[in-house]
Amino acid sequence: MRRRRGRVALSLVLVLLGFLVVVQLRSQSAGQALNGLSVQELGELVANLSTRNDQLREEILTLGRQRDGVKGAVDRGDTSAAQIRSDLNRIMAWSGALGVTGPGVKVTVDGPLPGDAVEELLNELRNAGAEAISLGDIRVVPGVVVTGPPGSLVATGVVLANPVEIMAIGASDTLAGSLTRAGGPIAQLGARYPDVVISVSAVDKLEIPPTDRDLSPKLGRPRL
Amino acid sequence: MNALTARIRAIPTWQVTLSAALLGLGFLIAAQLASEGPRVRYTSQERTPLVETALDLQKQQDGLKQQILDLRAEIQGYEATGEGGAAVTRALNDRLDQARMAAGLVSLSGPGLVIQLSDSSAAVPPDGNDRDYLVSGQDVLAVVEELWLAGAEGVAVNGERVTTGTAIVDIGGSVLVNSAYLVPPYQVAAIGPADMFDRLTRSPGFVDFVRARSETFGIGVGYAVSDTVDLPAYAGLVNLRHGRAAASPSPFPGDGPSATPEDGP
Repeated sequence: MRRRRGRVALSLVLVLLGFLVVVQLRSQSAGQALNGLSVQELGELVANLSTRNDQLREEILTLGRQRDGVKGAVDRGDTSAAQIRSDLNRIMAWSGALGVTGPGVKVTVDGPLPGDAVEELLNELRNAGAEAISLGDIRVVPGVVVTGPPGSLVATGVVLANPVEIMAIGASDTLAGSLTRAGGPIAQLGARYPDVVISVSAVDKLEIPPTDRDLSPKLGRPRL
Repeated sequence: MNALTARIRAIPTWQVTLSAALLGLGFLIAAQLASEGPRVRYTSQERTPLVETALDLQKQQDGLKQQILDLRAEIQGYEATGEGGAAVTRALNDRLDQARMAAGLVSLSGPGLVIQLSDSSAAVPPDGNDRDYLVSGQDVLAVVEELWLAGAEGVAVNGERVTTGTAIVDIGGSVLVNSAYLVPPYQVAAIGPADMFDRLTRSPGFVDFVRARSETFGIGVGYAVSDTVDLPAYAGLVNLRHGRAAASPSPFPGDGPSATPEDGP
């Protein structure tokens, strides 16, 4: 009898132990990490996630229309060359394989800035929704990294002469606002590099060239 | 001594097990209470709904990304069905497959390297800044850039593929990649050539990074070289809302006045 009571107690304790292990592990995850953020930072995070989700919904609508168009063509017995060509154009322009034209901003960096600081500007432009970016004549695509100490910038083996011009297509007010906001990247870089002048101007029509890099993977294979 | 041994032997096994379990239980209760500390400290009327909203939005985002991947697969399926034997359409489809791979819209698998960045476990000195001991967006960005320079042909961070539009930012010590909120440790996976690890670890930029972040603040930098590194497909916006594609320098198959009978009415 005593032994049976002991087993029951042991079982109860082990169940409780398992429950607490799960609770403990779960509390180590995302929710807990968010608790280190201030109210202002949480607000910024929520705004960021919300904007991204709106973009994803927009992409879902676009893809839904595209799916209906291709399906309609197939159902009618047509081949879908027009749809495929449109899809191909869209993807190649987005990825950098085709040139892009449109409104945006021109950022001029005049003075000795190191490569990682230029990368900060590029990263900020991407974060603000830039659709295509170039550094002079170099289209910025994955693999293009600006390196070098102040005054000796290099990207893809090409020396970038002073002043460096960055062009970005997108909503010009959003792009410019993101760079020039109080405490933003230009303000921070201005404090760290007082000899550098960074100016931003809106442009109605920019022409950003395609990349000359081969973006196709050579070693990676599609994962099924 | 013999009496003590005899008494210990007389204790039933279940009592020993129960004692061990109770010890573990006590430890976990203490750990749970300790982990509640910061929450209690920071909890305010504004914070709780914001944390819940952020978690909910991230959950929604995961669902939306899956919908995008499903729709793309569906479209690809229809496009393949519609080949209809037309040589022009087949050529277009091949080119589209290549473009998708080049853009990061296809999951890839190949040889490469995974670098894990983890928060420091070192004690923060009284005059130190807590955030110096956490992995930042700048750290992740620096590692991604060094991997590109070492020859990577594709990179992902905690399941987020790095593409032409990817921004890596941090908000209050939390890292967002493609605007997805990621939880540390951060695993930066790259497919690349066999000598990528050597090229990376010889790079002055990477050596400086390790010195500045790992040796000074204790940020964990782990490596794993593998024959099979998996990169997920990018699930996000692939649209130009403000820009327009310029004319293709090399015409697509079927372009031009003599072509595209299969475009149909």
